[in-house]
Parts: sequence; C-alpha cells; structure tokens
Amino acid sequence: MTPSPLTVVLLGNPNVGKSTLFTALAGIPTRVGNYPGVTVEEKLGRFSHRGQQINLIDLPGTYSLLPQSPDERVVVDVLHGRMADVPRPDCILVVADATNLERNLYLATQALGIGLPVVVALTLSDIADRKGIRINVDELSRRLGCPVVRVASPTGEGIAAVRDHVLDAAGGPAPRQLVIEDTAASRGDGRPPAAAEAIARYDAIERLLAGVIRTEPTRGGIAEERIDAILTHRLWGTLFFVAVMLSMFASIFWLATPLMDLISGVMDSVSSFVAGLLPEGAVRSLLVDGVLAGVAGSVVFVPQIALLFLFVAILEGCGYLARAAYLMDRLLVATGLSGKSFIPLLSSFACAIPGIMAARTIENRRDRLLTILVAPLMSCSARLPVYLLLCGAFVPERSTALPWLPLRAVVLAGLYALGIVVAAVVALSLSRTIFRGPPQPFVMELPSWRWPRPAVVLERAREAAWSFLQNAGTLIVAISVVIWALMTYPHDERAIDADVAALRLSLEARVAAGGDSDADRAELIGQIESLDTAEGLDAARRGAAQRGSFLGRAGRFVEPVVRPLGWDWRIGCAAIASFPAREVVLGTLGVIYNLGDLDPGDAGATTALERRLKAARWDGTNRPVFTLPVALSIMVFFALCAQCASTLVVIGRETASWVWPIVTFVYMTVLAWLGAFAIYRIGLALGW
Amino acid sequence: MVAESLDDVSVGTTVRVRDVTGADPVSLRLLEMGLTPGVAIRLVGKSPFGDPLELEVRGYRLSIRRQEAARVAIGDR
Repeated sequence: MTPSPLTVVLLGNPNVGKSTLFTALAGIPTRVGNYPGVTVEEKLGRFSHRGQQINLIDLPGTYSLLPQSPDERVVVDVLHGRMADVPRPDCILVVADATNLERNLYLATQALGIGLPVVVALTLSDIADRKGIRINVDELSRRLGCPVVRVASPTGEGIAAVRDHVLDAAGGPAPRQLVIEDTAASRGDGRPPAAAEAIARYDAIERLLAGVIRTEPTRGGIAEERIDAILTHRLWGTLFFVAVMLSMFASIFWLATPLMDLISGVMDSVSSFVAGLLPEGAVRSLLVDGVLAGVAGSVVFVPQIALLFLFVAILEGCGYLARAAYLMDRLLVATGLSGKSFIPLLSSFACAIPGIMAARTIENRRDRLLTILVAPLMSCSARLPVYLLLCGAFVPERSTALPWLPLRAVVLAGLYALGIVVAAVVALSLSRTIFRGPPQPFVMELPSWRWPRPAVVLERAREAAWSFLQNAGTLIVAISVVIWALMTYPHDERAIDADVAALRLSLEARVAAGGDSDADRAELIGQIESLDTAEGLDAARRGAAQRGSFLGRAGRFVEPVVRPLGWDWRIGCAAIASFPAREVVLGTLGVIYNLGDLDPGDAGATTALERRLKAARWDGTNRPVFTLPVALSIMVFFALCAQCASTLVVIGRETASWVWPIVTFVYMTVLAWLGAFAIYRIGLALGW
Repeated sequence: MVAESLDDVSVGTTVRVRDVTGADPVSLRLLEMGLTPGVAIRLVGKSPFGDPLELEVRGYRLSIRRQEAARVAIGDR
C-alpha cells in the first residue's frame, strides 16, 4: 500500500532563494493559483523520495509570523492548518539565507514555536562562503534542536540531504522552542508585548549564534561593496538604471524580430494551405479569417513576452529590483506612491493583473489602492503587440540623431514613458484629493548581489509565455471568431446590392455636380469605372457587407466619437471589440481588413496583418486609413485606455468594490480619447 | 550637535540603537527587521534624492525612509 502523501511547506523571508529551492526539489509547479477565498498566490509542487510522495507548498515570503499583510496572514493560517482545502503541514522547511543568518533566524525561531517538525535549509551557502561567512552547521543544528542543511543551488549541494531530513522529520515530534527570556530591558517602559518579544528574540538569537558564526573579510565581499557603491551612486546608479531599461526595450526589438518573422511565415503558409484544402464559403472563411487569424495574432507575440519576462526575472534574480525600488522611492513618493509600488508597477509592464495582485505586498491600504488604480496605465505585454505592429508598419525604419538608436525604439519607449507620466499625474492628483493622508512607511530589505539562477529565470519566461497563450491566446482566438461572425452576419444580398448602387449614384452625382479639381475628378471617374470590373465590384460588395454587419453598425454608430481621432469606423469597431482584452484589437483589425484588398507588392511589410492595414483605404476614396498620425493616435489610445475586462475584474476583486473598476474604466477611457486626439492633431499639424 | 536619531547621521558612520519609539506596526516591523536596542547600524548611503537611507544592520542591508529613521533613537542607553 502506498502511504498517503506528506505535506511540506517552504517558509522563508522574501528573496532568500525559496523559488530556487522549490524548483530544485519539485521541478515545475503542478499548480499555481490562489488560495480559496483570498487572492494570495498558492504554488504547489510534488516530488517522491524513498517511495514517499511529498506535496510541497511554497508560501509567500514573510518576515514575521505576527502578520501585517494579507500574504503574511495566509502563511500563518496555512502553518496552523486553518486554511480551507490545505492540510495541516507535516513539516516546515524553513529557508534561511546563509549570508543573512541573524535576521533569517528571527522567522526560523518563530517557526520552532508552531509545534510542527522543522528542517532549516541554509540557502546561498556558496555566496556565504565567498563572502567569508563561516557557519558551524552541526552546532547550529544542535542549538536549534532541528536539522540544518547547507544548500548551494549551482552545485545542487544539500538537495538530497534536505529530502532525507524532511522525510525523517515529517510527522515526528516538533523541536523544542527557543527560550525567549523576557528581560526588564526588553520590556522597557510600557513597550507593547510584541515589541518586547521581538527584542528578546533577537537577544536569544545573538546568544544562539555566539561561536557558531564568524566572518573573515574576503575579496568577494570588498568587490560587492564596490559594485554596490557604483550601482547605488546618485549619478552612476541612476544612469545605469536608465541604461538597463533602454537596453531592455532595444533588445525586445532586435532579438525578437527574427523569431516573429519565422512564426508569421509559418502561420501564413498554414493559412494558405488550409485555404487551398477547402472550397470558398463560410467554413473556409471561419477557419482562415477567424480561427487561424486569431492563432497567428497571438502566437507571434510569444517571443517578446518571453524576452520581457526574461529581463524582469534576471533583474529580480540579481537583486536589482529592490535596488531599483530604493533608487526610485523618492520619485514615487513625489507622486504619492512609494518605492514598494515599484515592483507592482513594474510587473504591470508585463501584465496589470499580476501587478495589481502584487500590490498586496503593500501593507498600507491607501498606497495599495493608489497603486492598483494606476497600474493599468503601465504598458502591459498585451499592448506591446499593438505597439510593435503599428510601429513596425507605420513608423519609418530609420535611426535618430544617434545612429544606434532606431526611431521605432524611441516611439516605443515614448509610449511606455507616456503611461508612466500619466500614471504619475493621476497618482499625484488622487493622493492630493480623495486619498489625502500622511506619507506611508517604507521598510525594505536590499538583497545582496547574486547571479540569477538560469532555471528560475527560464521558468518565469516559460510560465509567462504559457499563461499568455492559455489565457490571452485562447481568448484572442475566441474573440477573433466572435468578431468574424459579427463582421460576417447578417449577410443580406439585397441590402448589399442597394448599398453598392447607392455608392455608384453618389459618385456619379459628385462628378455631375463638378467643382472638384481635375485630379479628384479623374479619381472619382476611376472609382466609378472600377465598379464595372469584377474585382472592383467585389471589393465594393465586401465593403457594403461590412457596413451592414452587426459590428459595422456598431462601428458606424460610434464613428462620430472616433472621427476626431483620425479613425475610420473600422478602427472604431476594433476598439469596441477589444474590450474583453486589448490584444484582441489586432485580431479584429485582421478580420476587418482581411476582407479588403491585400497589397502583396510591399516587401517592407513583414506580416499579413501589416499588409492588410497598409492596403486599407477610406471608403470610396484612395486615401490610406493608416497614416503615421493615425497609427500614433491608435497607439496612444491603447496606451491609456482600460480595454481589458480581466484587469477591471481583478481590480473589483482586489478592492472588494465595483466602484474602483468603474472609476478606472471611466478615467482611463477619457484620458485615452484626449491623448489620442492630441497626438493626432499634433501629428497633422507637424505634417508627419 | 550630536545626532539624536538615525535620520541625522552622516553617511559612513556606525551608531548604536538606543530605542525605537512608537508602538504601532511600523515600529514593530523595524524591531522585527533587527533594529533592536544595542545593535550597531552603519549608514551605508542615501538614495539619489537623499531619501531613503541604506543601512547595514546585523550583516544585511536595509532601506528605510528618513521618516522611519527618525523613530530610531541612537546613542548609548
């Protein structure tokens, strides 16, 4: 008979290599989700050791078992077996940073008091060695009364021993608690019991570590001081930060482009292959213009998303993210936020949803709410495809005054900057009005510099790409099909005939009325003549079919609203249709313009969608719909709008109120319209 | 004038914590992060705009704002 699985929890401070140890023990998580009823991340894994199955739970990083944030509360609830659907753990695996043992033992000694078996893993032991930190592990284990194992992830040292100890300890007796002597000094003058306990606990830890740990100065430690001095320097540190961010954007262009070209080439071939197999009709149209267009429109952006996450994971793994928060805090405080908002806001560049959820690490409710409200203004990975497509198609391919800096990269960086600046203004206005209050506390560890673990970095990138395909991708395909249907039906032949006849009449009436220039007159006559050719008539009939469809009617309904932005009704359709998720706008544009003419002669266009957009003309004219000001107007609109139903749902869930999602949607849509209008007018005025 | 609290210590100096004033969660978190009476703290540096501060305490680096640093009374008790 197989024994029932054991439950082991990973408990540790933030940034101590918990995820790395999780990956080393259990590999890829079997489940990443939320704890029931709360929105704190739950990460589960599984491994088998000596025939025993062990379920591993990775708890959110915490500094203390006296909880101050929702994450920390979940940790305490899980440890005490009070979390619904999570069995009481059989063993606590405490992850302690060997380079920072004293502070890490604070949580470890609290864990000893839970009444469960404890095993302590000393992570980053290789870095501790390099820094000259010598720990007598056997003595530490004896004094703590629980197994202590050295772990070093590059060599895999200690992983087997951790498995052995966890299996031996699980279900066994709990270690004795560390004696915390409440002294007169720790109690002080009317100090609260929790504060007195914290002081007494550190006193006990100092006694416990006496003779167990000693530090010899090493060259590694001195080198780190030097790196630190440069990277946190007022001038060099800030310049380095800007350089890192800029190179991140540039690389997304340079490294991802060949992969994207490959993917769109393959998808184009698949589309023409499928189109060749099927007879002309509704089924072929559905498959090629609906399903495959949607698949292509989502898969093609996986390279950039994976790259972006790769960068974020590397920065996080280096310990640079916290440094960035330290560097950025004063600026964020100036906007009414805090350095702690930096990580949620930075995550929002990947996707606002995890960003908004990461705002839970902000203990203060006011800071948290402010961060949540402005997080959707950060340009997420769903906007990136929109930016990349329109930048690639309509921003000229040339460099700026600096030969190594392409104009497209500047426009892209500008769109990201726009979101940041608008977010700063919104946060500042809100913090001065409805969120008035004193500035909030900021206590943050600055982890030591280290090399990121490739396995952890790759896993983050893989997970991001996968979740994009799973969540956004499937949604894009579904919406692509729905939009195809809305664009195709109702299909009324008589209405189409009437529409084409009306078009011919209006053109003829205009020619007869005179008053046009010779060139315009020739153009109008050319259009009338084209209606007599099979191709011209076909294109006109397709345009009429679009106008008569459900979405065409909706687009024409909003046309007066979007016309000042330089948009035709089809862009209006796409914007409406993108409410479920921004990235859907591409699928919609693909379907809408796929029904028009392709411009196969343009070798500069890399994807079919680009070709379709470049061929788009205003109805009844030869004037291109997509010019640089229109492309900029669309990009600015999508930079600022709240066309993402999932984000609004998450805001509602996180704030436990429907007021905030409505506020977010309204303020962002208004700003988006104003921004798009402004850039379109500026573009026209400057003759772009 | 001798510095009374951590927010007016100059960069590079090492001081000893006398007490952390206040009884709210912020003060408790400062204690939990190891800023307990008697511990040595070095002010490693300041952020580009002078705030927050980077401290070295109990062998690790901690960042707090001047506002929180003002709660940390320094000097021998």
